[in-house]
Order: sequence, then C-alpha cells, then structure tokens
Amino acid sequence: MKSRYEAAKNVFVDSVDIEDYIDLDSSVAAYKQLEYSLDKPLKMILIFGKPGTGKSILLNRIQEKLKHQKEIHYFDTPAVNEKEFFHKLFKVLTQKDLPSNSEVNFSALVEFCQNLRGKREIIILLDEAQMYGPEMMEKIRLISDSRAVKFVVSLHKTDDEDVIAKEHFQSRIWEVIELKNATKEDQTAYIHKKLLKKNLFEIANSIKAKDMKLIHRFTNGNYRECNKLLFTIFEICEYYDKNEPSKINYTHIHHKIIEMSALKLGYINV
Amino acid sequence: MYDIRPLEEEWKRYRKKKMRPWYLGSIVFVALLFLILFFSSNTKMSFNAISDYFNSLKSSVSSKEVKSENAQHTKSNIVVNGPLMRIEVDKQVLDESESVESEGIENTPANILVDIPILDGKQDERSNGLGKERKKIHLDIIKTTNLTAYKDVENRFKLSRDVDDSLFLARSYYKKGNYKKSEYWALQTNKVDPNIEESMLIFVKSKMKLGRKNEAKNILTAYLKKSNSHEAKKLLYSIENGKF
Repeated sequence: MKSRYEAAKNVFVDSVDIEDYIDLDSSVAAYKQLEYSLDKPLKMILIFGKPGTGKSILLNRIQEKLKHQKEIHYFDTPAVNEKEFFHKLFKVLTQKDLPSNSEVNFSALVEFCQNLRGKREIIILLDEAQMYGPEMMEKIRLISDSRAVKFVVSLHKTDDEDVIAKEHFQSRIWEVIELKNATKEDQTAYIHKKLLKKNLFEIANSIKAKDMKLIHRFTNGNYRECNKLLFTIFEICEYYDKNEPSKINYTHIHHKIIEMSALKLGYINV
Repeated sequence: MYDIRPLEEEWKRYRKKKMRPWYLGSIVFVALLFLILFFSSNTKMSFNAISDYFNSLKSSVSSKEVKSENAQHTKSNIVVNGPLMRIEVDKQVLDESESVESEGIENTPANILVDIPILDGKQDERSNGLGKERKKIHLDIIKTTNLTAYKDVENRFKLSRDVDDSLFLARSYYKKGNYKKSEYWALQTNKVDPNIEESMLIFVKSKMKLGRKNEAKNILTAYLKKSNSHEAKKLLYSIENGKF
C-alpha cells in the first residue's frame, strides 16, 4: 500500500523545476526587481545570496516568463573551459553552430557584438558564476561593454565571491539583487504552498506553527535545507506509516521526527 | 529508510542531552526553594529564646493537661502557639496539691512572663461548669507578635479547627485594636464551639468598637435569653448606659 507520506516526500525533492516555483513575498519582490532591472539599460546585473536562497529558480523563472518577449538565454552550469563557454556564446549570438575544428576569436566576437548594438538585445543568464575565473570574467565584461549583450550574473555569497564581484564588476554592475534566507512566515508559506499544490491538505495541516518554528530554526530559512529536511521528515513518516503505524500521529508531526531528521542531516548532534 | 533504529537511539541520546539543563535547573530550583523555606522558617525563631528554653528545662515545670478519674479533678489546658512561641495555660485548680501530681507535665521556660490574664476574674465556663475557683495564667516566652506568626496561627486553625487558636487570635487582635479581625476570629470560635462565652463577648465588644451598637445589643440580648451570664449582663448594662 502506498503511504500518504510518499507523495509529500517527493514534493521536497530538491530540484530547479520551474513548475515547483512558489510565489512568496520575498521571491515576488526579487522577481519584480530583476524584471525591472532588465528593462533598464544596464550592462550587468548581479544576483547574489547564500546557496539555497533561490537564485537558480529565479533565473529559470525569469527566462520562462520572458522567453517569448526577449532574447534571453540561461547558462545553467558553467562551462568547463573558456573554449566551451565561447562556443555556447557564439551559438547564442549567431544562432549557428561553430564549424568543427574551429575556435572562437574573442576579438571578432566582441566586434560582432558591437555590430549588434541597437539591432538586438540579448540577455544571458549566468548561473553559478563564481565558477568562472577572473580572466573569463574580464572577457565577459568586455562583451557586456558592447551594450548588445546584457549579463545577469548569479553568485554565491561568500567572502571570495565578494572579492570577484568587487574586482570585476564593481564599476560595471549597476544593479545588485541580494536574495536572503526565508523568514519563518515565508518558509511556512513555502512549505504549505508546496504541499497544497499537490493536494496534500491533511499533511499540510499536520505541520503546526511550532513545527514550522523548529524547522526554521534547523534550516535558518534556507530553501534547499528546508527541502532536505522536509524530505527526510516525510521519509521517516513513510517508514513509520508502513512499518510502525503506532509511532505516528496523523494529525500532527511529532517533534521527535523533526529532530530525528535534523540529526540525520547533521543540523544537530548528540 | 533503513537506519531508523540507530537514528532513534541517537535521538534518545540527543533528548537526554537536551533535557539535562532542565533537569539540573529543576534540581537547583527545588534545592533553592527548600533552602529558602528552611531559612524563612528559621528566622522566626529567636535563638536566645531557644537556648533559654533548653536551660530552663530542668527548673520550670508547667501542667499541660490533667485528667483525673477522681470527681475532684484538675484540668489544665496548654496551648502552644508554635510560631509565636507563646504558651497559654488555663489552669483550673481545685486542689493545688493534686495538680502537682498531675499526669501531663510539661516543662516551661524560665523567662516567662506570668499572669497576663485577658479575662481576669472571669469564669471560664467551657473548662468547668461547676463554678469552681479558676485561675488563668498566660505565659509568654518571647514577645513575637509579628504578622507572619499570626498568619501561621490562622493557617494552623484552618487545618486543626482548634478553638484555642481562634480564640487566641480574637483576643490578640482585640487587644491590638484590630476589631474587624477580632470580630472575625470570635465568630470563627463561636462557629466551632458556640458555648465559649469569651468569644461571644469579644464578638460583641468588637462590634461596639466598630460602631455597630444596635447589632451588638441585639446579639447580647439574644445571648442573655439562653444564658444567665453575669459578664454578659454587665456588658449589656455598660453598653446601654454608654459606659462602654
């Protein structure tokens, strides 16, 4: 027999799926800000925040929303090397594949971009930009100077990445959007909305305000950690439901299960 | 999920660790509470009085209660008001020589203040209805009349319903001029034992002091209908003539 918790568990599988996007006060604000910034004549926009604050899903969402209105491209994983990156960029800009056994001439590419100015406006969404080296970032900057290509750069917020941001973008980035961890209220809404989206009303109701407080304490409002914790909670619930139903309360998620999940994920330890 | 058992064990250990400060806190709290209670009860004692009390054990003797099978018996009634360290002895002596041989003997302190009768020369009807000679001795060990001590007696009365306690409170409050309280405690005494005339008289006198003359007169008149108390008559006379 299929446990009711199995579906709930699958809701929190951590993935960047635009279908799973949840409108929250903070995420709506960030989305609006990004949308507004894209309309401005900016060369570069920096999105930064700790891992799991929703940067990737924000980029995905903006691409999904604007793909029919603007020429917008999403580079999800950073290119292994410079050559690969310029291959991708060449394809986006020229809408042609690079002939085999040939390489992109950077100077020619910059010139090509300069010629596009006023004719086309291309938006490149660069996720995980902290993976690009300083040299690569310098070249990206030069391309953005053409004003035909606009880069939205997403970075993890760490000390090192702040240095990159300062060194390479400080004078060129005109808009900075910082994504933060969710507040308790936002996280509560996030969990409830995710469950309700899959019609899991009873399970959504079984997570009370006190449980939400505990979940927020363990995850610090981080969406990725929240997904991981909720996944583990429902995994344990599923086990009990199938094997030891006496240990589970269907109207209320016991704190014991939340704490066990936190122990499993290393948020707390003995 | 195959690691549920180790996870449960780990959670139990975590729970114990998490609860440890609470357990320790509770223990500390209980210990503190105990110490506070211990010291607060000790502060009510006068250590000098205690040492005096023990020194005088050998020399002082007082009768507590004597119940003799003889028709002519000696009855002693000792009331020890613990927190006040106050001993009251209602002694009715028919034969002084017999009282010395009485069964219940209790040692009393040496530094007692003897003879502070409340109702000097009055008959104590509750102790003996035969109208025999009566002598009341009021013994104070130390002069502790603080509020907490009275409270302790009040609390003790609630548990024991001992008229000696309530009557003591009625007398004390009347003496102190707290007529509302003396009225209340006289009433409490009367509720437990309606035959104690003293409580009735304190009740009436308190009412008079509180300015409820008519009430006092009515109560006294009603009382006189069923008893022929000399004291009550005297009191009624003084009330009617404005001599009270």
